[in-house]
Amino acid sequence: MPLLPDISTVAQTTHLNVRDLGCEREGKWLFRNMTWSVPRGSFVAITGPSGSGKTSLLRILSALENPAEGAISYSCQEGCQHEPDLFQKRMGIIFQNFRLSPTSTLLDNVLTGRLARYPWWRSTFGFPPSDKQEALELLETLGLAHRTNHWAAEVSGGEQQRTSVARAFFQQPEIILADEPVSQLDPELAVRVLDQLRSFTTSGAASVLCVLHDPTWINLYADYLIKIDPRSPDHGCLLRVEA
Amino acid sequence: MNVDSSSLRNRLGVLHVTGLLFLIGVILSLPSLRGSGRHLDYLGNLGSLVSRFFPPDWSVSGRVLAALGETVQIAFLATFFAILLSIPLALAGAQNIAPRWLSICARMAMNVIRTIPSLIWALIAVAIVGPNSLAGVIALTFYSMGYLGKFFSDAFESADPDVAQALRAMGAGVIQSFQHGMWPFAKPLVWSHSLWMLEYNIRSAAIIGYVGAGGVGVQLYSYQEYYQWDRFCTVLIYILALVVILDLAGERIRASITKRLVRPLGTTV
Repeated sequence: MPLLPDISTVAQTTHLNVRDLGCEREGKWLFRNMTWSVPRGSFVAITGPSGSGKTSLLRILSALENPAEGAISYSCQEGCQHEPDLFQKRMGIIFQNFRLSPTSTLLDNVLTGRLARYPWWRSTFGFPPSDKQEALELLETLGLAHRTNHWAAEVSGGEQQRTSVARAFFQQPEIILADEPVSQLDPELAVRVLDQLRSFTTSGAASVLCVLHDPTWINLYADYLIKIDPRSPDHGCLLRVEA
Repeated sequence: MNVDSSSLRNRLGVLHVTGLLFLIGVILSLPSLRGSGRHLDYLGNLGSLVSRFFPPDWSVSGRVLAALGETVQIAFLATFFAILLSIPLALAGAQNIAPRWLSICARMAMNVIRTIPSLIWALIAVAIVGPNSLAGVIALTFYSMGYLGKFFSDAFESADPDVAQALRAMGAGVIQSFQHGMWPFAKPLVWSHSLWMLEYNIRSAAIIGYVGAGGVGVQLYSYQEYYQWDRFCTVLIYILALVVILDLAGERIRASITKRLVRPLGTTV
């Protein structure tokens, strides 16, 4: 059973602020007028039917694409406001299709999570031993100790997904944007990954926005819920999840 | 179903037209078979020439092996320099990396380089640096650049751009996203193509000596000039042995480099 943080102790300063956000695809609005603020240290579940715009929302939040309308701002720990593209170094992203380098080992893929910390000429000659040790420990935590030196292309989809999760954790970001991070995992491993994501927020400094479908997990892990479903009256709203 | 059958019809149509054009080309080329017009005994000539090849004169083995060594040296250096020069050229030519105008210019440059045969490159190099092995290295370096540049460009283009984009999205720089997002995928292909080029250059280096660019080709040329066909045959046998060894070794090494390439991510083992 995962340990849930005491939400009342989490600092309630705004971490992510979204105003009048809209996303359009081929002349059709996936969502419009989305306005909410995520308190720092929150676990936000994003849910909705297939094709409703969950991945598009995460792409917009991670500055991989521009919104059709609206504005996004992140607050850093120092209290400054940042546009998404200027906040990328502080974002950990778990992609739906993992986006690992297929011909790099799992260890090397995890290490790339810290590329932003080093200049290119430093990372050309490898990462510090302390980083490697930390990456190995993270892989071990996620049950991948026996696979560290395998190419990503050689391991199963579930193992690739956990590597993608490990890369995001290894980055030690301020916010994690996770697109279905447990879709290919069995329940036991899924709980392990979600526990990690939850514990990531318990310090109160970091937040998680995570696409999840299972209502049990949403109730168990999430502080807030965003439903992206045009048929729902709560479409695009940030709702508090009652324990 | 309709779309499939109409596209099949289109393809068959194209195949028929291509086949017909090829046949017309063959018929128009028939006059090239008329030869010199004199009544020569072709088979007799062939028999007479081949009989002068045997038995091979093994006494020149030492010299041939030394020249063959020089041929291999020319090929190694030319391939090495070509790899160094081709990587930036390939980056400039890769459509998923360079801006379109640069990619078009780089690809045109590579096309021009490839159009010029290695023997012409050798003639140019000999005219500039004289008849020696340096000319061979220069000639094959330029010749190889045209091929390696294209192969490397294709290798970079075949890498999944999403991986590099993901690293950029996590704050990595442009060079880092190439180093860790594209290069790991392209690296085995780059090595495989480089090895193929080395094999090819060893074969080419044996020929460019005909125009004075060093290597075993110089010996082939001089033995042919003096009608020493038995020695000429010895050189051919050594070249053949080298090529067979290269083929066998190169194929195995290339297969071991590329065998793990590459299953798309997201699929289950």
